Amino acid sequence: MSVKIEPKNGLTVCRIDGEVDINSSPDIKKSFDKLISKKTPKIVVDLFKVTYVDSSGLATLVEILKNMKTYGGRMRLVGLTPKIKSLFEITKLEKLFEILGTEDEAISTF
Amino acid sequence: MGTKKLVIEVPGEIKCIKDVSSEVLNMLSPYDIDNDRLFDIRLCTEEALRNAIEHGNDCNKKLPVKISCWVDDGKVNIEVEDKGSGYNPGLIPDPTDNGNLMKNSGRGVYLIKRLMDEVKFNKAGNVITMMKRIE
Repeated sequence: MSVKIEPKNGLTVCRIDGEVDINSSPDIKKSFDKLISKKTPKIVVDLFKVTYVDSSGLATLVEILKNMKTYGGRMRLVGLTPKIKSLFEITKLEKLFEILGTEDEAISTF
Repeated sequence: MGTKKLVIEVPGEIKCIKDVSSEVLNMLSPYDIDNDRLFDIRLCTEEALRNAIEHGNDCNKKLPVKISCWVDDGKVNIEVEDKGSGYNPGLIPDPTDNGNLMKNSGRGVYLIKRLMDEVKFNKAGNVITMMKRIE
């Protein structure tokens, strides 16, 4: 798993590659903790290259969102495969997260 | 295809979870199962194992977890047994309630119930049996 962070059009884009699960969650959290400590206002998380998410991965994304909300930050998720999107629907987490199709779509309307 | 049964006993350690789910998927590889179903089977196996290790065995690495997997009549069956005193799955709060959405845990058993076709717990609450149709 890797997290690549890139500034783009005044926002921060985080591209995750690999599996978001119990093994990778601590590293993902660490990557985002750095952005949260700087109170990064808008983050687009691109999950296009994420092949697997478990409940631990979902919980990690919830925790990141929760931490961002403490300072008024916003996070958008993009690039979810239909299978991974279905996990957000089943768990009703789609109500918490702003989920969009592509990076460009998320950036142009943020 | 003849009925095969995979039985594995592993130490109650989180690091064993991936190895077990890989073994399960490897055992299922001769069957014609689509990727979405394999995703569900893997996810539910890993969630059940994690529950067994963290909640059943209370993270005691000396206590083993036993996993059985077999295919019969177009169904994949997976059973996970821990050495704990069990719990009542009916007491787990619904993670989709608005008040629980922001919680950092509590989605494992819910996902299992939603993604598998049948889920049973034994009376003691330390054995979960899950079934997924593959035909």
